[in-house]
Amino acid sequence: MALLIDLFGYLSIVLHGLTIVAQSMALGGVLFLVFLARPFTGALPDGVTLARRTGVIAGWNALALTVCELLAVAMQVAVLMNSVGLTLAEAVTAQFAVAGLVKAAAAAALGTALLAPRPASAAPLLALCLVVLVAATMTTHAAARLSHSSILLAATGLHILGAAIWVGGIPSFVMALGRLHDGAAFRRVGARFSRMSILGVACILVSAATMTWFYIGSWSAAYGTAYGVMVGAKVAMFAALLLLGLGNFLVVERLRADPGTSVLRMRRFAEVEIGIGFSIFFAAASLTSVPPAVDLAQDRVTWAEIVERNTPHLPRLVSPDFDALALPTLQAQLDAEAARARTAAPAAFTPGSGELPTRNAADIAWSEYNHHWAGLFVLAIGLLGLAHRAGLHAARHWPLVLLGLAAFLFVRSDPETWPLGNVGFFASFRDVEVLQHRVFVVLIVAFALFEWGVRTGRLRRPGAALVFPLLTATGGALLLTHSHAIANVKDQLLVEMSHTPLALAGIGAGWSRWLELRTEGSIRRVAGWLWPICFLVVGIILLVYREA
Amino acid sequence: MSRLLLLVVVFLAAECLSSKRAVAHAILLESQPAARATVPPGPSEIVLRFNSRVDHARSRLALRIGQAESALPLDPGSPADVLATSITLAPGSYVLRWQVLAVDGHITRGDVPLTVQAP
Repeated sequence: MALLIDLFGYLSIVLHGLTIVAQSMALGGVLFLVFLARPFTGALPDGVTLARRTGVIAGWNALALTVCELLAVAMQVAVLMNSVGLTLAEAVTAQFAVAGLVKAAAAAALGTALLAPRPASAAPLLALCLVVLVAATMTTHAAARLSHSSILLAATGLHILGAAIWVGGIPSFVMALGRLHDGAAFRRVGARFSRMSILGVACILVSAATMTWFYIGSWSAAYGTAYGVMVGAKVAMFAALLLLGLGNFLVVERLRADPGTSVLRMRRFAEVEIGIGFSIFFAAASLTSVPPAVDLAQDRVTWAEIVERNTPHLPRLVSPDFDALALPTLQAQLDAEAARARTAAPAAFTPGSGELPTRNAADIAWSEYNHHWAGLFVLAIGLLGLAHRAGLHAARHWPLVLLGLAAFLFVRSDPETWPLGNVGFFASFRDVEVLQHRVFVVLIVAFALFEWGVRTGRLRRPGAALVFPLLTATGGALLLTHSHAIANVKDQLLVEMSHTPLALAGIGAGWSRWLELRTEGSIRRVAGWLWPICFLVVGIILLVYREA
Repeated sequence: MSRLLLLVVVFLAAECLSSKRAVAHAILLESQPAARATVPPGPSEIVLRFNSRVDHARSRLALRIGQAESALPLDPGSPADVLATSITLAPGSYVLRWQVLAVDGHITRGDVPLTVQAP
């Protein structure tokens, strides 16, 4: 059951991220429908279709929200019933379950109302959105606070609303831009959505400032806790969204003067805004799993410790001896004891059961060596990407560097297993972590060959080229869910602090490559330089990575 | 087909990249007795204080002695952020296991090891 609770803890974050995505798109879609699509039905050439499609986007997301919310409640109720011995009736009457069920019911009604042959009018749609919004706030940190709960509930509600207006409305906006054809219509829709977005940004800023005050409260908590670092990542991504939003605002202004202005850039920027917005939602889901920074008075990392840990040292390019690692040392000790007792030596570690011995200095050096060499591989990818962009045709083969990285990880990531350790290749699959590493290696190989096919023209489908940016950006977004230091044990947090810039660089690389593929002109050129630079940043972070 | 491949690749990468387990956010601020404390035998008040309001009816305290574990009755009159109980302890090594449901729906668990030493 303990394992189930831990596993549930992780699954609940991913599910919560998906819930926030669906919730924002459902609420944002309804607001887009009520305040933009329907009022413009008569004024736009394709207005009726636009309103219908907005309703479809919002409706399906409302149904997705229902499913996500019911799954989340079901998982939590199952864990409670099994771990505390509650009956179903006792478990489903908990506050979170009631709020979740109310939210799911309201979302289901919303979806049905939006997808019906004759969609409902504005009032019931907005009323259902309000129910979803209120129920959503009842399962946030604010609901369990001992003090200032009312202020924090209001701020959280405003935050969810702001995200829905802005980020949740963008998919409908992208759809609208795809269906419109004349400059006047672009300007009308763009101007209205810009005003809605500004309102959304204002809601986010006011609520974020309030929550920062109450949940973080000091500079030392901002940089010294997992919560503070995650909020920092959200702020960085929010700044990127604002820049893209500004770019779109300028296009709308240009449309005012020249209706013939191309809106391709606006559409592509909006696509990237969706991606970065969803990354923020996953960071928000991750935030719900860590305690507010203000509650962690002890075990915060000091500025001096951060500087000390992150001061660059020469990369560790020589590996420590395998025999010096904790596991082989323990095995040697067991072998010696068994030899003295003239019995068979037990295995120091059995895959799938028991825990590895405490890490020693050689284990740390081993891990740092792995990170530093991985950094060199990634650095090589970035440099080759830049060289290719600069016109060196042969550098298009850069994906093959990933094959080297995969081989390196296969040999080095789990030293206790074949080919270095005593645990056989097939026996090692019983260990979940080893299994994940093996799958990851296979994935890297597949991805390397796939992207190499794209770069060398062997894979010509337009969608194939989008795998690389989507995979990189998704990986970056999900890396954000890594940062969970409940007790804020300093070393754990210091190690995890390197994940956040890695995640941001991954998200940056993915979406800049997306822009390179899908835009034209100067944006395409700049984006073409930007993604290899992001890879260089990842490589450099890995090269200076330290665990002690 | 390419769309399906794209989805599969993205999903697999997501699963691999985010394999680390997560923990929820209600944390134990202080406990009486403190973790790893040594206490005298006899009646003992156990008080655990958390950083958020907890759902008493859906939270659990248990005492582990060796491999045996027994649930402890919770004091119904405790403050919103506290789990409390009274128990008589004999000399030995114990682990107090707690699992709380925060009012916002997060489940957290943890251990408080303690030793009861004969006078």
